[in-house]
Amino acid sequence: MSRRLFCSVVVLSFSLSLAAQSSPAPKRADIDPGAMATLNKMGAYLRSLKAFEVKSVQTTDDVLDNGQTIQSDAVVDLLAVRPNRLRVEIKGDDKHRLFFYDGKSFTVFAQLVNYYATVPAPPTIGELVDKLDEKYAIDMPLVDLFMWGTPQSSAEKEITSAIDVGPSAVEGTSCEQYAFHQEGLDWQIWIQQGDYPLPRKLILTTLTDDARPRHSQVLTWNLAPSFNDAAFTFDPPQGAEKIAIAEVTASASNDKK
Amino acid sequence: MNRSIRQLLSITLVLLLTGTPIFAQRGGGARTSVNRSGSVNRNVNVNSNRNVNVNVHHDVDVHHSYYYGGCCYHNTAAVVATTAIVTAAVIGTRVYALPPACSVVIVNGLTYQQCGSSWYQPQFVGTTTTYVVVAAPR
Repeated sequence: MSRRLFCSVVVLSFSLSLAAQSSPAPKRADIDPGAMATLNKMGAYLRSLKAFEVKSVQTTDDVLDNGQTIQSDAVVDLLAVRPNRLRVEIKGDDKHRLFFYDGKSFTVFAQLVNYYATVPAPPTIGELVDKLDEKYAIDMPLVDLFMWGTPQSSAEKEITSAIDVGPSAVEGTSCEQYAFHQEGLDWQIWIQQGDYPLPRKLILTTLTDDARPRHSQVLTWNLAPSFNDAAFTFDPPQGAEKIAIAEVTASASNDKK
Repeated sequence: MNRSIRQLLSITLVLLLTGTPIFAQRGGGARTSVNRSGSVNRNVNVNSNRNVNVNVHHDVDVHHSYYYGGCCYHNTAAVVATTAIVTAAVIGTRVYALPPACSVVIVNGLTYQQCGSSWYQPQFVGTTTTYVVVAAPR
């Protein structure tokens, strides 16, 4: 017993010294419990939504070699019906993509070049997000919306500072603004006040680059979207060509056409 | 095809490990693409560790903008890169823009782009359309 205790003390002090070496150790005093509670409330609320449509007007900084930042814009329109319907349109400065997911297959369609690829898909949006990332290196836009408060989310564990900045309006809607810090990342979120704790604005600042590139999203919500099943199934337009999609893993069975 | 996947993986690895602007060698004077591929640390979400992947994609995206054809900055990069590629056209090479004057040819139900004596097979990498140089299918 005493030996076990000794071991734990050694391990504990070792991990403490490790924590002290890498970045400033998190002090719980820096975390406003109210900010964390609102974040969790938002996560729970988002997960309770059966269907929603959200439009994100977003900007992303790229960093040039000389440290200069270049901003690019995109508009993302995402329609989700839990657990297994998703339609996403991404209109950016340099690309236009549509994603279709109907619980069975996933299609990415590049409208301007009229190419598409379809792959078998897992049965839920959550699993789809992981599979697309791991197998096909496709990032689902606005993936945070599906992640808040889930076991896969790393945010809550990694937050070392949480501040309630105060009331702030986003496009005329009353919100509360919060600021969080985690290793390598500062982020701010504007959460709607009242009965619908929706994220209305999000700004991420990457700290691991001296240029501190930012990514921002302003979100507009529709909690009663109208849709039919056809919205989630890809119907190739005239002349559209089916092409392959590269898999991230290298194995002989991969590239069957 | 495995070869191209291996190539993709090695590109990804290089980016992951070093953040080296690999397109510097490929594009020659294509300053714009070189620069933009330097964005290794860019977070676009809070909840998961997808940051690195996001960056790798974006590097590639820049090269894809050739089809806008219109303005300035992206287009120049694509043209420069293309010039370098035409000279190379090594089978298994993955490129982000086609050389000029290609035509779509369907062989055995598969879509190819024939550009002079070189054949390219379109393929998504993430959401980016790329073209892999292949042996003539007929």
